[in-house]
Amino acid sequence: MAEKIGVYFDTQKIGPLLDCEPLAEKVRNKWAKACPVVKIEDNLSGEAGRQLIQADIDSGDIDSVCICGSSPRADWDIFDFGSHVLVERVNLREQCIWPFRNPDGSLPQKAEEADKLLAENALDCINMSISKLQKTNLPQPEDLEIVKRILVLGGGWTGCNAALSLARAGYEVLLVEKEQELGGYAGKLYKTFPKKSPFLRAEDAGIADLLEMIGKQDSITVYTATSLVELAGQPGQYTATLKNGSGQQEIQVGSMVLATGWEPLDTKYLEPLGYGKSKNVITSMQLEEMAKNGEIRCPESGKPPKNVAFILGFSELLDGIAREEEEARQRAEEEKAAAQQEQSDEEPSIEEPFEKTESYRHMYFTNELTCLNTLKQANYIREFLPESVAVILYEHMTATGIQELYYKEAQNDPGIMLSKGEVTAVETAPGGKLVVKAKDTLLGSDISLETDLVVVPTGLVPTTALDPVIQLAYRQGPAFPDLALFDGFADSNYICFPYETRRTGIYAAGSVRQPMSLAKSAADAQGAALKAIQCLESADRGVAVHPRSGDLSYPLFNFVRCTQCKRCTEECPFGALDDDEKGTPKPNTARCRRCGTCMGACPERVIAFDNYSVGQIGSMITQIKVPDDMAAEGPRILILACENDAYPALDMAAQRGWKWSPYVRIIPVRCLGSVNTIWIADAMGKGNDGCLLLGCKYGDDYQCHFIKGSELCDRRMKNIGETLDRLGVELERVRQEEVAIDDYDKIPGIIDGFVDEIMKLGPNPFKGF
Amino acid sequence: MSEPLRIQPNLEFVQELQAIGGQDLKKCYQCATCSVVCPLSPMDRSFPRKEMVWAQWGLKDRLVNDIDMWLCHKCGQCSEQCPRGAKPGELMSALRNMAYRNLMGPKFIGEWMSSIKHLPKLIAIPAIIYLLVWFVTGSLQGTPFPLEHGKIEFGLIFPGDYTIDPVFVLVFFFAVYTFIRGIGKLYQGFDTQPKTFVLGYHPPENIWVSLYQVLKEEVVTHKKWKDCGEEEPEDTKFKGHLVLFYSFIALAVVTGIVAFTHWGGKVLPFLHMPYPMALWNPVKILANIGAIGLFVGLIYLTKRRVAPSEKDESSYYDWYLIVLIWVVAVTGMLSQIFRIAEVAGLAYSVYYLHLVSVFMLIAYTPWSKLGHLVYRIAALTYARRHGRLSTEIETDKNKVYVI
Repeated sequence: MAEKIGVYFDTQKIGPLLDCEPLAEKVRNKWAKACPVVKIEDNLSGEAGRQLIQADIDSGDIDSVCICGSSPRADWDIFDFGSHVLVERVNLREQCIWPFRNPDGSLPQKAEEADKLLAENALDCINMSISKLQKTNLPQPEDLEIVKRILVLGGGWTGCNAALSLARAGYEVLLVEKEQELGGYAGKLYKTFPKKSPFLRAEDAGIADLLEMIGKQDSITVYTATSLVELAGQPGQYTATLKNGSGQQEIQVGSMVLATGWEPLDTKYLEPLGYGKSKNVITSMQLEEMAKNGEIRCPESGKPPKNVAFILGFSELLDGIAREEEEARQRAEEEKAAAQQEQSDEEPSIEEPFEKTESYRHMYFTNELTCLNTLKQANYIREFLPESVAVILYEHMTATGIQELYYKEAQNDPGIMLSKGEVTAVETAPGGKLVVKAKDTLLGSDISLETDLVVVPTGLVPTTALDPVIQLAYRQGPAFPDLALFDGFADSNYICFPYETRRTGIYAAGSVRQPMSLAKSAADAQGAALKAIQCLESADRGVAVHPRSGDLSYPLFNFVRCTQCKRCTEECPFGALDDDEKGTPKPNTARCRRCGTCMGACPERVIAFDNYSVGQIGSMITQIKVPDDMAAEGPRILILACENDAYPALDMAAQRGWKWSPYVRIIPVRCLGSVNTIWIADAMGKGNDGCLLLGCKYGDDYQCHFIKGSELCDRRMKNIGETLDRLGVELERVRQEEVAIDDYDKIPGIIDGFVDEIMKLGPNPFKGF
Repeated sequence: MSEPLRIQPNLEFVQELQAIGGQDLKKCYQCATCSVVCPLSPMDRSFPRKEMVWAQWGLKDRLVNDIDMWLCHKCGQCSEQCPRGAKPGELMSALRNMAYRNLMGPKFIGEWMSSIKHLPKLIAIPAIIYLLVWFVTGSLQGTPFPLEHGKIEFGLIFPGDYTIDPVFVLVFFFAVYTFIRGIGKLYQGFDTQPKTFVLGYHPPENIWVSLYQVLKEEVVTHKKWKDCGEEEPEDTKFKGHLVLFYSFIALAVVTGIVAFTHWGGKVLPFLHMPYPMALWNPVKILANIGAIGLFVGLIYLTKRRVAPSEKDESSYYDWYLIVLIWVVAVTGMLSQIFRIAEVAGLAYSVYYLHLVSVFMLIAYTPWSKLGHLVYRIAALTYARRHGRLSTEIETDKNKVYVI
């Protein structure tokens, strides 16, 4: 806890509109005991400034630092005085001075004009920061015993690549494959589309070489015909229960790369494409098998086909089944919403039942792979049967990036005929032949084409859409939550952060995450392997992983006051909390991402971090000086800004010269999920006229760094709305807005629009009590 | 809705097209830049985009009966603008080449005409005929290079009435007969293809009016071709072709007059003209102007063909014709010069080559690039009659609707 705070003013950062001397005087008067050192310096951002502060620390005059100057996002490396010294930055420049404008919208011409309002704003900010420091403790990392062994689940192309990367990085690897042999679907390929320059020819998948390299690595232990039965514990300390035949064994692992890949989509989705009508309608997997066995023949006659049609333009045919499934999905969603409404007051259901998410959509998700695969297989036809013709009817020929070369090469083959087209029917004809009809073709009219063999695509369904796969012994259930959002792919909306899942310590790679080629899968495997290592090492040092990488703090529970309401257990986006029979939460620090959602959820406020707590923010709110007369001195509005996107966006808006109302006071929060409703009640009780919450986008295409935070906040604000209503405070005084990091140009509009509305509403009825 | 088009992808046909000049046709990705830049392409079912996709699929029926190949004058703008280097212009000329080769029998001539490796056989036919003639007449005269009154007289070795005229009239009518059948076959093919209905356009009342309009508005002026491109190389090509075209007409007129007066003179003696003609004779002057024009046109066209061009590549068909005309012109000119210069050995030999080359020019016309003289005019006549209008045709544009 900060007891002796040094307050430093950087005149270069906060001049010329703001006079530091009177501010310093007010700080000396108000915080005489807490702040033994109050200094005004010309420029702190440099070695000289740093040494000046360091000298005060070394002499024992102060134990923590409060710097009044620029945003904490600037010069953070300069003001690092080691882990034992708390540093608080008062963001006067970006969030107080630069955006300052007069209440009527005009800009101050002289310093004196700005003086009063600006000084009040600055003083509030300084007071809030000092008060915050007083309520902050130095975080102590949790000391965990960890196992530096990494489990790779799935021994296909991706899994083998991940295992190899991990072994080469010096980690012990457990490679678990459910089939008898390693290799997965890559092992069943005759060839794969080009992986190297000049990208014109299909090539050997290279699985044999990969397996040979795996065999040479002593640190890789391979378990074939083995499946994962349970994964219990937390990163660094997992216990994996493996089942091989009738035997089971438990092995300690630290983290996991999930590379379980895909399964072929149920053939019922291929029936509208003619599959099952004739033996001569085959899937691309069947064709691959034929090629692997060295002979392409019509299954019905056993003769080589003269003419093979590949169907990629299947939307029209799939329309019926697609419509059915979409309607069913809508109905299910409505039912679920209705059920939720009924249930909202009852005890929360923590464990979501697993639902399969296989659907017609997987046909489309696989499109890029299907296209490339079709080009490759058309080349098989030309390779095995040089006199035969391969016809490709496509809807969206997707050959991205360098694969465009492969597409061109296929196009140049005189025996590969390509056209855009929607296939309208696949019919049988005498003599085992098939007739493919298509519309919207490039040939200028509807066409019908007689062919010997029709190849329909194989859709990829991620294994996680069919089965929980990771088999977690977590209170929230064995599977990844909310995978329906991604149609079962073990993916997340972590923009720019692939491999992340909502289960810390488990990193997805390859086609279980997205349908992808072997080359992409290999790169993916490396990425996920590095993430798995990073997680292990972070757990070893007791720090958080992405997105609060390196954070030493973690939630502490005051179980004495816990009422076992289970809200924290239910709401944790990462399933970090388990519980006992009574419902008392059992924290797992290494699973925790330190967002504070549990802290925001807790009605009893028993959860706190050393350096972030309900009381800390509460005391900051108390420091906002609210004038009694709103008409004369303006309203006061509290902004709680998510520090991931909204807070930088505020900085960026100010840096770009945007101005906003001088009546707002900004407090950064870790995530809107950590906002406890008591803060709103506190702010209103203290006479603040409004409260604006700035956080990330939520919903299906969420951008929340903690996935559920802003969504949960929105739900809680609806609940607090009822409370406010009972108190006679208008609901409109509390609003949540979605701000992305590049929305800085919208910031002034959002803030000023809200302030205008508050002005219209008039003063908070609680003002002055 | 119309019945779907039954299509049959034909690998062999694609390969055939590639071999005959459309090597790059598979590169096309149907962006239609070619049809947009083409100054002649009609508004509806424009070319050469559709020909490109038909060619990629080897849709033989469509392509061999396609009238649009004759509407194209190969300015090469499509090939130049093509973002994929698919050279649509080359495909259009490959299609024409294919028509020369396959439209009419006997099949072997078409095949022999398609490649340089068969050229010796083509040369051999007239070469053997006239070598035999030379052998017989030479034996009768006692020398292969006889003189009459000290002057060279080609008739001594190659008597016109017995060895030239009957043979050439025979092959001429053979060519004409082939062309007439060819036009019939061409029209039958066009008839199988979908038609355009154009409102606001009044087609010529019959095929002859249509032909007249084509000759008057397009052939005589080369107007379409002029529209095709005004840049330097196209201009050379246009001028060269125009000069060559009129030279051919002049020489055809001369040939006609000569044949008429000669054979007519046998019946009506006053028609008879003495041979060789005097240099001041108007017919002789026309002949020499024609010959000079021939050289001028040839020089223009050869210059352009020799210059490397992205827009317009030269196929065997192009070179066959141009070289043959060169040979005809050069041997004709030289035999006259050697005759006047009284170099008997050379004069007879060159005259022999001249006969061989003229034979080739006439007899093989329906299978050579020169066939376009007939087929293109026939196709344009058909097109005009059926409202297959290029965008440039004079119509009241506000009232033209294409269905």
